[in-house]
Amino acid sequence: MTHMPLKLENLPTRRDEAWKWTDVRGRVSETSAGLSVAGLPKFTLPDGITVSEVETDDLDTDSAMAKLARNFGGKVWAVSVPEGFSSDTPLIIEGLNRGHIRIRIDIAKGASLSVIEHHAGDAGGFVNVDMTVTLKAEAKFDRTIVHNDPADCVRIATAHITAWNDAAVTQHALSFGGALSRIETRLAGMGKHIEATLNGAYLLDDKRHCDMTSYIDLAVPDCTIRQAVKGVVTDKSRGVFQGKFHVRRPAQHTDAEMRHDALMLSDTSEIRSKPELEIYADDVACAHGNTIGQLDESALFYMRQRGIPLAEARALLTEAFVADVFDDLDDEDLRESLLGKIREWLKEG
Amino acid sequence: MLKINNLSATVDDGNKTILEALSLEVPAGEVHAIMGPNGAGKSTLSYVLTGRDGYDVTSGDVTLDGDDLLEMDPEERAAKGMFLSFQYPLEIPGVPTMTFLKTALNAQRRARGEEEMAAPEFLKKARALAKELKMKPEMLKRPLNVGFSGGEKKRMEIFQMMMLEPRFILMDETDSGLDVDALRIVADGVNKLRSPDRGMLIITHYQRLLDYIVPDRVHVLSGGKIAASGDADFAKKLEAEGYDAYAA
Ligand SMILES: Nc1ncnc2c1ncn2[C@@H]1O[C@H](COP(=O)(O)OP(=O)(O)OP(=O)(O)O)[C@@H](O)[C@H]1O
Ligand SMILES: [Mg+2]
Repeated sequence: MTHMPLKLENLPTRRDEAWKWTDVRGRVSETSAGLSVAGLPKFTLPDGITVSEVETDDLDTDSAMAKLARNFGGKVWAVSVPEGFSSDTPLIIEGLNRGHIRIRIDIAKGASLSVIEHHAGDAGGFVNVDMTVTLKAEAKFDRTIVHNDPADCVRIATAHITAWNDAAVTQHALSFGGALSRIETRLAGMGKHIEATLNGAYLLDDKRHCDMTSYIDLAVPDCTIRQAVKGVVTDKSRGVFQGKFHVRRPAQHTDAEMRHDALMLSDTSEIRSKPELEIYADDVACAHGNTIGQLDESALFYMRQRGIPLAEARALLTEAFVADVFDDLDDEDLRESLLGKIREWLKEG
Repeated sequence: MLKINNLSATVDDGNKTILEALSLEVPAGEVHAIMGPNGAGKSTLSYVLTGRDGYDVTSGDVTLDGDDLLEMDPEERAAKGMFLSFQYPLEIPGVPTMTFLKTALNAQRRARGEEEMAAPEFLKKARALAKELKMKPEMLKRPLNVGFSGGEKKRMEIFQMMMLEPRFILMDETDSGLDVDALRIVADGVNKLRSPDRGMLIITHYQRLLDYIVPDRVHVLSGGKIAASGDADFAKKLEAEGYDAYAA
């Protein structure tokens, strides 16, 4: 661990292909709060789960942000979920408000864990959350991300998920962005017959930025991947979607679908998207779709003809557009609370 | 009640004049029918009256109970009591029918300074009406009109109309696409809404509907204006003879 301040040149820049639309270097300054220090996350644990601090310099990724997390994040917060564990209570992670944070979650064979992460930063903050999750055989991981930063906060939240055979991953991310934010999910399939749903929605106004990036790397057969990301941008905000399915030769019978659909509610907002399929196996069903559109004027008129004021009609149509990525969220209360946040955002707009 | 005076309107950014000095009055308590050839401007009239973008009024005025309609946004006109049963009802993906309708009803009530209708009362009313219109209850749970058949959409228009109880009803070819039984159900519904303080303007191509909903007056829209008018029997004559005599 170093006590030197972080050198800005070690941050990703637009010149790095994977960061061309999310210029971290350009938005971070020496005065960003938490730039060179470890953060202090808060864990609310279900009974039977413990968290401990582990000292390690191990890194099995070459990602720049993971390296910075190792250099500045201090010890790893390690959560271990014992074999066969399951609970109705989720693990809640808060305090992701500044600094570098390393989290490791190990889910043992047949165990199941729900996690709710609240990503809410400090004004002028810099947050780098680097999370490693391992699912052993038949393990289950349900992850919900709620992200809303101040307009001048920069956040990179990366998850490296490794799944062994018959594991199931479900992710629902809801982001209202920040000065610059990226929610990146990397899933490596190591055992056959993995099922993953990776859904998300971003709703951005003002000059907010949110980047949802994912990389799904499959080297094993019989996996099913479903990804649906919806975006809504208005004012001068910018949404970025980068999704890649990498289906290696042994990954036969992969059934994978990627969708990104965005609504541009103003001419000055921006959407950048790059859906990618890289497929080497021959017996697979992989598809992707990507659309950018506007609200349907005739539908709006129809609603107004029935007496619904324009702003309310827009909000209803927008909510309907976004909401379906959360349809498969099993926890009804959690789903309602996400929809509530979306409605609140729509009301303010 | 509804007074249209010398109304001219264009579409296509003013490049195409559709209505030319059209005048028509529908007094409270009366039902008037409008017939006329395809492309005459019947739907255009319904959109101008309800304030759709892209249908521009170039001259004339329209009042409902003395209030200038053309000054109002579509939702204000709706709150005033203007209801259009669309020739082609729109699909509203992701918005359940009941949510849509409750939002609409209470928005109108709020705009009129009335109290909102509470959920239980709304539900009760909706269920009873769905039964009366012989609609499948699951239709109310589905997103509005999404995947509905043509006839189901028309029936849904009538359902909305009867829930909202508007002061003035405009129906644009509500009969097309309806089977005989549905036509009777719809007509019964419309007839139930006939009242001394409500007016109706019914656009149709078929005399058949007017057997069920007998109009006080029948007008021919042709050449951008009302080219001829008559009583209920006039519709029979039009159906037999066509519109050649009224060509622009
Ligand atoms: N938005 C538009 N842009 C261009 N032309 C239009 C537009 N809307 C209507 N028109 C034209 O205006 C004319 C009148 O159309 P309208 O739909 O009002 O006719 P209609 O009398 O309702 O016909 P129908 O009996 O077939 O329903 C038609 O020639 C139509 O093509
Ligand atoms: Mg028409």
